[in-house]
Amino acid sequence: MIGRRPQRRVVDVHAHLGPYSLFHIPDPDATTMVGVMDRTGTEVTVVAANRAIQQDAHLGNSQALAAVDAHPGRIAAYAVVNPWQDPERELERLAGDDRFVGIKVHPSLHRYPVTGSRYSAVWAFAEETGCPVLSHSQHQSPYDAPPLFEAVAAKYPGAAVILGHAGITPPGVDESIEAAARYESLWLEVCGSQMTSSLILAMIERVGSRRVLFGSDFPFIDQRMSLGRVVCAPLTDGQRDDVLSGNARRLFRWRPLPGVQE
Amino acid sequence: MADDVTSGWFDAHIVTGAHPAALVPSSDRDAIAAHLDTHAMSGALVSSMASWLHDPIGGNAEATAVARSLADRGVLACWTAVPPTPGELDSLDRLVDQAVAEGVAAFRLYPRSHGYSPVDPAMDELYAALAVNGLPLCFDVTEIDWHHLDQAATRFPTLPIVVSSLGYRLLRTLWAALRDHENLSVDLVDFAGHQAIEWMAANGLADRLLFATGLGLRDPGESIVRLAWSGLDDSTVTQIGGGTADRLFGVRRATAATGGRP
Repeated sequence: MIGRRPQRRVVDVHAHLGPYSLFHIPDPDATTMVGVMDRTGTEVTVVAANRAIQQDAHLGNSQALAAVDAHPGRIAAYAVVNPWQDPERELERLAGDDRFVGIKVHPSLHRYPVTGSRYSAVWAFAEETGCPVLSHSQHQSPYDAPPLFEAVAAKYPGAAVILGHAGITPPGVDESIEAAARYESLWLEVCGSQMTSSLILAMIERVGSRRVLFGSDFPFIDQRMSLGRVVCAPLTDGQRDDVLSGNARRLFRWRPLPGVQE
Repeated sequence: MADDVTSGWFDAHIVTGAHPAALVPSSDRDAIAAHLDTHAMSGALVSSMASWLHDPIGGNAEATAVARSLADRGVLACWTAVPPTPGELDSLDRLVDQAVAEGVAAFRLYPRSHGYSPVDPAMDELYAALAVNGLPLCFDVTEIDWHHLDQAATRFPTLPIVVSSLGYRLLRTLWAALRDHENLSVDLVDFAGHQAIEWMAANGLADRLLFATGLGLRDPGESIVRLAWSGLDDSTVTQIGGGTADRLFGVRRATAATGGRP
């Protein structure tokens, strides 16, 4: 019996905000998201607005900042950098606004590879500042398949890169695990429709529990889907706490996340 | 105690047997028993992986074997059918008669995987027999086109139909189907849309939601945490956790509880 109240603190490092054209999302606003967070024990969520990833990075980033302002201490923002939409402008904005705590890139949606020159400024900025970068990653994608991040990690060893979805598919998870095992700058994030507790356990067994991060993709997907895999997984208490919040607190040091620090 | 509403749930979708292409928790007999114990569930509906991926009719015996072995735990069998085909199946009527005699509680079809049309006139015999006997018909949405589902639900309005594995992209389509067919329900296996359960309940459709984990196919933690930490009141959680199953499988559940005596 799981009960109706969560027992652990959660930090969600992979979330979005707002509607998405391909399907209906009921109540995708920040207030509803915070309501979900209250029910799941989530202290803070880092969001990249759907408008920013899907259509207009600059306008979407403004939406993310509005959500931070509306829910201080609960929502933090990624600055989405689209390689086709003046990436230098968004990096300058990010540098000058401490409501942004990280960078989000979505190479598959923007159809541009993580190894391409238009992303160079992102990796260089991350390496110089310690700003974490969350990237979509997807098995066999020509833009963000997990092995491509090994080239990024080799060239920018000081840039902390979160492999969002850890490659998505089970073979993609295996590739992500291998990449993270080779490069300590690569972190694994656990949301995705094909993720299971068994795959999360495989990540922890290979790279340890200290570089595996909880994310949910909500409101794209309901937060409790990803959370349930971690909460019910056969992990030790320490491993579960690492994944659910401790690792996020350790990683987001450039601009620390709001709330209690580890 | 308020937490009691997260016990006594009926898991309406378990598939027993090895999955050949996914890393998911075990769903053999002992794993199902442990699943029921761990989460204080009142029972489950179990179909067979062999019926889906190896021998549609022969695999039914494996579902029945698990159900018989765990009958005292409220486990019921769910069988699979295919169109009558010489050498494979003589009569759908007789298959349903046999299923009723053996206490089977529902049927699950895989038209796409098994290579036939679910609206082939030969299938009418099955749908009519299931409707007469009050046996629900279950489909994963990946196995059937929506217009075929619409056709079957229209032609057999007293046949309870349960759809599964909605994912997070189909709420627009689901809404139209639920609006048009009172005999249609949806289970919680991969019912992943943000706030989709709350959205259904707010629109008066909580009684069309059926708790299920998809053990054998998916990570069961998804559905468990999704419902337990939902934004629904306790009575609605209880309705979804077991009430809908009582309506759909109630006679068989009651019969199983008395050791097969009516």
